[in-house]
Amino acid sequence: MQGSIKRQLLFWAFVGPLVFAFLVVVVVPFLWGIYYSFTEWNGIVKSQVEWVGLRNYIELFQDEQFVYSFWFTARFAVVSVILINGIGFALALLVTQPLRTSHALRTVFFMPNLIGGLILGFVWQFIFIQVFSGLADILKIEMLRGWLATPETGFWGLVMLMTWQMAGYTMVIYIAALQSIPGELLEAAEIDGSTLWSKTRHIIIPLVAPAFTINMFLMLSNAFKLYDQNLSLTNGGPFNSTQMLAMNIYNTAFMFDRMGLAQAKAVIFFLVVATVSIIQVRMNKRREVEY
Amino acid sequence: MSSKKSLALLVALIVLCVPALWAGGAQESTDEGAAEKVKVDIFQFKVEFKDQFTQLAEEYMKENPNVDLSIKTVGGGDDYGAALRSRFASGEEPAIFNVGGPQDVADWMQYLAPLNGLEVTEKAFDGVLGGVTMDGNVYGLPYNQEGYGLIYNKAMFEKAGIDPSGITSFAKLEAAVEKLDSMKDELGINAVFAFPVKETWVTGLHLSNAVLSQEFDNVNDAFNAETVEYKYSEGLKKLVDLQNDYSVQPTLSLDYSQQVEQLFSSEKVALIQQGNWAYGSIAGVNSDLAANIGFIPLSVDGGTGDSIPVGVPMYWGVNKQLDDAVVAEAKKFLNWMYTSETGKRYVLEEFKFIPAYEGYDISKVSDPLARDILDFSARGKTLPWVFMGYPTGWGMNVLGVDIQKYVADKMTWDELIAHTTEEWEKARQ
Repeated sequence: MQGSIKRQLLFWAFVGPLVFAFLVVVVVPFLWGIYYSFTEWNGIVKSQVEWVGLRNYIELFQDEQFVYSFWFTARFAVVSVILINGIGFALALLVTQPLRTSHALRTVFFMPNLIGGLILGFVWQFIFIQVFSGLADILKIEMLRGWLATPETGFWGLVMLMTWQMAGYTMVIYIAALQSIPGELLEAAEIDGSTLWSKTRHIIIPLVAPAFTINMFLMLSNAFKLYDQNLSLTNGGPFNSTQMLAMNIYNTAFMFDRMGLAQAKAVIFFLVVATVSIIQVRMNKRREVEY
Repeated sequence: MSSKKSLALLVALIVLCVPALWAGGAQESTDEGAAEKVKVDIFQFKVEFKDQFTQLAEEYMKENPNVDLSIKTVGGGDDYGAALRSRFASGEEPAIFNVGGPQDVADWMQYLAPLNGLEVTEKAFDGVLGGVTMDGNVYGLPYNQEGYGLIYNKAMFEKAGIDPSGITSFAKLEAAVEKLDSMKDELGINAVFAFPVKETWVTGLHLSNAVLSQEFDNVNDAFNAETVEYKYSEGLKKLVDLQNDYSVQPTLSLDYSQQVEQLFSSEKVALIQQGNWAYGSIAGVNSDLAANIGFIPLSVDGGTGDSIPVGVPMYWGVNKQLDDAVVAEAKKFLNWMYTSETGKRYVLEEFKFIPAYEGYDISKVSDPLARDILDFSARGKTLPWVFMGYPTGWGMNVLGVDIQKYVADKMTWDELIAHTTEEWEKARQ
C-alpha cells in the first residue's frame, strides 16, 4: 500500500509539471479557441465579442478562397509527400553505398534543412525569377520565363522548394532505418542470388516501413501547416492562387480582422489535419513487418 | 528513508517553484526604483526612422528627467495591426500607438484619448485630421504627409523632348508613354514602366485611390459609403492597362524592390508609380539619379488629370486607459515633438518628413520628391487619400487580387467591377 502511494506520488511529481504546462499552453487555448469560433470579434481586448452561433462555420464553406486554398493545400501535400519521400529514400540508398564521398554527400543533402524557411523562400524567389529568366535569355528556353507569375509555376515552385529543403531531412531518418537492417539478411539474399531490385523491394522496403510511417506523417502534417515558405516565396500570389490554408487563416484574422471566422477555419483545419494524419499512420502501420 | 526524503524535497520544490514563477512575472511591473519616473511606452510602425526617433526621445528625456520613454517598433501595415492587438491582449498596453484612419479609430475607440486643445492639434493643417475626428473629437495626430504619383526620370524626359509639366490629362500621359516607348533603344530602357502587380497595395490601395478620391470627397465619405459606384471605372481601367501594357513583364511577380531598386534605380525604366518614401531606396542605389527625379500626375481619363494624391499615412493615438499621469506625459511628448524647436528640427532634417503642421520652414525640405509634393500642394493640385476608408482588407485583398486576375486574363473588367462592388457592399452590411 505504502509503495503504491509512493509510486503514485513519484508518477505525478514527474508527469505533473508536464501535464500542467500542456494544459496551460495547449489544451486551454485550444478550448478557448473553439469558443471564439462561435463569435464575431476583431481581436481588440476591450471590444465586443458577439456570439453568433454556427454562422462562421456556415460562412467558411461559402468562402470560395478558403475552399480553393483547401484543395490547393491538399494537392500540394500529396505531391510533396511523394516527392520528398521518394527522393529522400533514394538519397539514403545512395549514401549508404560504399562510396568514398558518402559522408560529405550526407552533409550536403541535409544542409538545406538547416536554413530557415523564410530565407529559403527568398533565395528560391530570386532563383525562380532572376536566375530562371537569365537562363531563358541565354538558352532561349521559354519555359523558364515568368516563373511564379502563373498558378502552375507557383505550385511547382513551392513543391521544388519544399522537396529541396526536406528530402535531406527524411534521408537522415531513412539512413538510420537502413543501417539497422541486419547484414546477414542481405547477405543471405545475395547468396540466394537475388538482384539489387528484389533485395530492395522484398527486404529493404518492408524493413524500413516504420521510417516511412514517421516520415510520411511528418511531411504530411508539415505540408498542411506550411506558412513561412509560402509567405516568402509567393505570398499567395498571383491572385491568391497559391494561398495555402495556414495563410488563408492568418489573413482572415489579421488582414480582415475577423478572429471568429479565422478561428472557425482553424478548427476545421485541425480536424482535417488530425483525420488525415491518423488515417495515414494507420495505413502505414499495417505495412510494417517484424522479423 | 532517504528516498522518501528526496521525494518530499522534490514535491516541496515543485510546490515552491510554481508560485515563484508567478511572482517572478508580477515583479517586473512593480519596479520600485522607477516609481518616481513616468514610463511612457511607444509602440509604432515606422521602421525607417526608428534610429532618429530614438535620438529625439533621448533628447526629450534629457529635458524631462521625470519621463522614461521606451520605443518599440514593428514594421509593415498588417504586421503592425496584429502585433498591436497581441500587445494589448498581453496586458502591456502602450501609452502611444498608431491608428490609420476611421476604421482604426472606431475599432480602438475605448482606448483613444481625445487630443483636442493641444497646441499641436491646433497647428495641424486643414483637412489632415478628417480621418481621425469623430463627433468633434480628434483622436490622432498625423506623423507627416506623403504623396505619390508617377515618379519620372528627368534626364529621359528631356532626351525624349517631353515637358513633364504639360502632362495634365490622360491623353497627354498616354502620348508621352508612347513616345518613350518608341525611343526605348535610345533611352536604354527595357520598358517604360515597372508595374508591380504583385504588390496589391500599389494597385489596390494607391492606384485605386487616384480614381476613387474623385468619387469620395474625403476618407470619411468612403468610410460611410454603403457602396462604391466606380464613377471613373474606365479611368481606372485605362491606368491599369497603360501601366501593364508598357511594363517590364511579367508584372504578376514584379515586386517593390524589383520596381524601385532594380529597374528604376538602374535606369531600366522611365516611370514608376510610387511615393516619396521611395526616395531613400533610390538614393541608396543611384544617388545621381535620385537628385534628378520628380512626380507627374496619375491622370484619370474623364476626371482630374493634373493632381497627385497627398495624405497622412499614419496617426499617433494616446491610450486613455492608463494612469492620468502617463496620459498627460504622452500628450506632452507628442505636442513637444511637433511644436518645440528641437522637435521641429528633427521632424524636418532628421526624419525628413513633409510636415502636416504649420510653423515649419519648408524651404529646408531637400529631397526632390518631397519638394514636388510641396509644389503640387502649393498650387492646390492634390487629391485626398481615401483608401483608409475602404472596408477592412478590401483594397489589397479584394481589389488588388482582382486586378491581378484581370491582368492575367482570368477576369474581365466588368467582372472585376461587379465582384469588388459586391464585396464592398457585403462588408458594409
